[in-house]
Amino acid sequence: MTQKPTIDHPVDHVRVLMEEFTRSGIATLHLRSGEFELLLSNDAAAPSLLGGQQAAPVAVAAPVVAAPAAPVAAAAPAAAAPVSTSVPDGAVVVAAPNLGTFYRAPKPGAAPYVEIGGRVAADDEICLIEVMKLFTAVKAGQAGKIVAILAEDGAMVEAGQPLFAMVAD
Amino acid sequence: MAIQRLFIANRGEIALRIIRAAQALNMETVLAVSDADRDSAAARLADRTVVLGPAQAAKSYLDPRLVVHAARESGCDGLHPGYGFLSERAILPTLCAQNGIAFVGPEPDVIDSLGDKIQARGMARAAGVPLVPGCDGVATAADARREGDRIGYPVLLKAAAGGGGRGMVIANNGDEAEAGFHRASAEAVAAFGDGTLFMERFVPEARHVEVQLMGDGKGGVVHFGERDCSVQRRYQKLIEEAPCAAMPDHLRKQLHESACALAASVNYRNAGTCEFLFDVKRQEFYFIEVNARIQVEHPVSEMIAGFDLVQEQLRIAGGAPLSVTQDQVKLSGHAIECRINAEDTARDFLPSPGRITHWSPPQGEGIRLDSHMSEGAMIPPYYDSMIGKLIVHAPTREAAIDKLDAALADFRVEGIATTIGLHREIIAHPDFRTNRIHTRWLEQVLLAERKGAAA
Repeated sequence: MTQKPTIDHPVDHVRVLMEEFTRSGIATLHLRSGEFELLLSNDAAAPSLLGGQQAAPVAVAAPVVAAPAAPVAAAAPAAAAPVSTSVPDGAVVVAAPNLGTFYRAPKPGAAPYVEIGGRVAADDEICLIEVMKLFTAVKAGQAGKIVAILAEDGAMVEAGQPLFAMVAD
Repeated sequence: MAIQRLFIANRGEIALRIIRAAQALNMETVLAVSDADRDSAAARLADRTVVLGPAQAAKSYLDPRLVVHAARESGCDGLHPGYGFLSERAILPTLCAQNGIAFVGPEPDVIDSLGDKIQARGMARAAGVPLVPGCDGVATAADARREGDRIGYPVLLKAAAGGGGRGMVIANNGDEAEAGFHRASAEAVAAFGDGTLFMERFVPEARHVEVQLMGDGKGGVVHFGERDCSVQRRYQKLIEEAPCAAMPDHLRKQLHESACALAASVNYRNAGTCEFLFDVKRQEFYFIEVNARIQVEHPVSEMIAGFDLVQEQLRIAGGAPLSVTQDQVKLSGHAIECRINAEDTARDFLPSPGRITHWSPPQGEGIRLDSHMSEGAMIPPYYDSMIGKLIVHAPTREAAIDKLDAALADFRVEGIATTIGLHREIIAHPDFRTNRIHTRWLEQVLLAERKGAAA
């Protein structure tokens, strides 16, 4: 086997940095090394490296468990996604923040939070994840339209498993 | 009823070890992983893997509700907690019981009472297990001198109200005990508002000795001999051996009997370890605590007993009686284990996470490696730094040391820093060879010598 220095795997380094950043409570971390540049910030309004638009790492670092926006899209390929093929082009995925039972409605017999084609605001709750009778609402994370529902109501979902596909506004 | 589908609530080498034991008993396996461990060796071996949550242990491996929910929803009827993480939290067996899952370990109330130092000492005393000679309520300097004279010097004076190092004094004679009382008591008043002290015999050069136990939950207990874990750094064990070659047979017999008596007195179920401090000078041992789980260093006992402790754990959790009687446990030879950590010993044991670029472990008769590592494997920075345990077994301690040295010399790991080199230094040291070590030897002698050589 050829020897590979660990720097060949920058994704691992970024994961480590994100972890440490989240733990540290620092507001913003800006790192530049050669061509590589990384900005981690807890402030959604922070200036981004791409100028104007939010760069993905910014959203990743925000410690908002219930609003998995950009990080989810990144994590999705590795997840056990039974129906991930049905994510349309250009859609982003809302994934489960942790393992639990997936519920589409606020209580048994009630109407689902959202249906395919439904419009949601970033703060809208779109499903529940239950762990031992403790229900946590998952928010859309961004405004847009739901284009696919990727998990079965009442089924166990794993952390990172895609729940919805949506097209952002 | 025997477990059909086992949930493994742990990671690393012990997850792999448990999966193999379960598969040998024809159980299905479901492994819980965090996002960081999706591609671990254990994940590849398990029949099914479920992702609990993000890499942070608090949101994955350390969340008992999440773990039991996952076990129940994946149809498991047994759960093995491994060591560390939730293994000694009573909430885990409690939740398992509420959800019809057999917990591979003791009853929750036994875990709770053994986990409480004061309760555990009371249970040990009631079972006739020797405790460190001491005295609970030292209220005056005259008390300190009288009790010190009775207990025997040196003694340790500590605040009865608090833990940690505050208000702690070592006294070598009666005068020091009186002077020490004034100092420690004043500190205790300042820190805790209570100047009452607690005194116990201080053993400057103690060995850490522990007995491997297995109980059936009905008072039946079998031991698998003792281990000597005296090579430690900051209370972390680095090298473990079985048996404790420094202990004479008559004392060893008493040690085993004490440990079994304590476990039997609480109807202990499943694997446990009774830890003792061994005062070599006085030829006495004192109870420290019981660890209510399988331990990292269990392989050295397996090697000398020729017995699979993890498989026995799984059978007992499934309702089976002990599969061996004490007479059937035959201990032979000597085993030594090195914990190989991803740490840089030249930089104060700084963890060295990263990717392993080369991995070629030693092989041969009497050599065992419990590890989840391989070439290309990534050591994430979120968990402990142990990357494997190298265990050797030989007819004598001398032969085991030689075999271990050869095995360590053959062990090539690149891409990260490891403690392999330090292990070679330890076992080559005359003090280790002649077995004159104690729990503070590594820091006081070997690491001090190393520092001196580097300066």
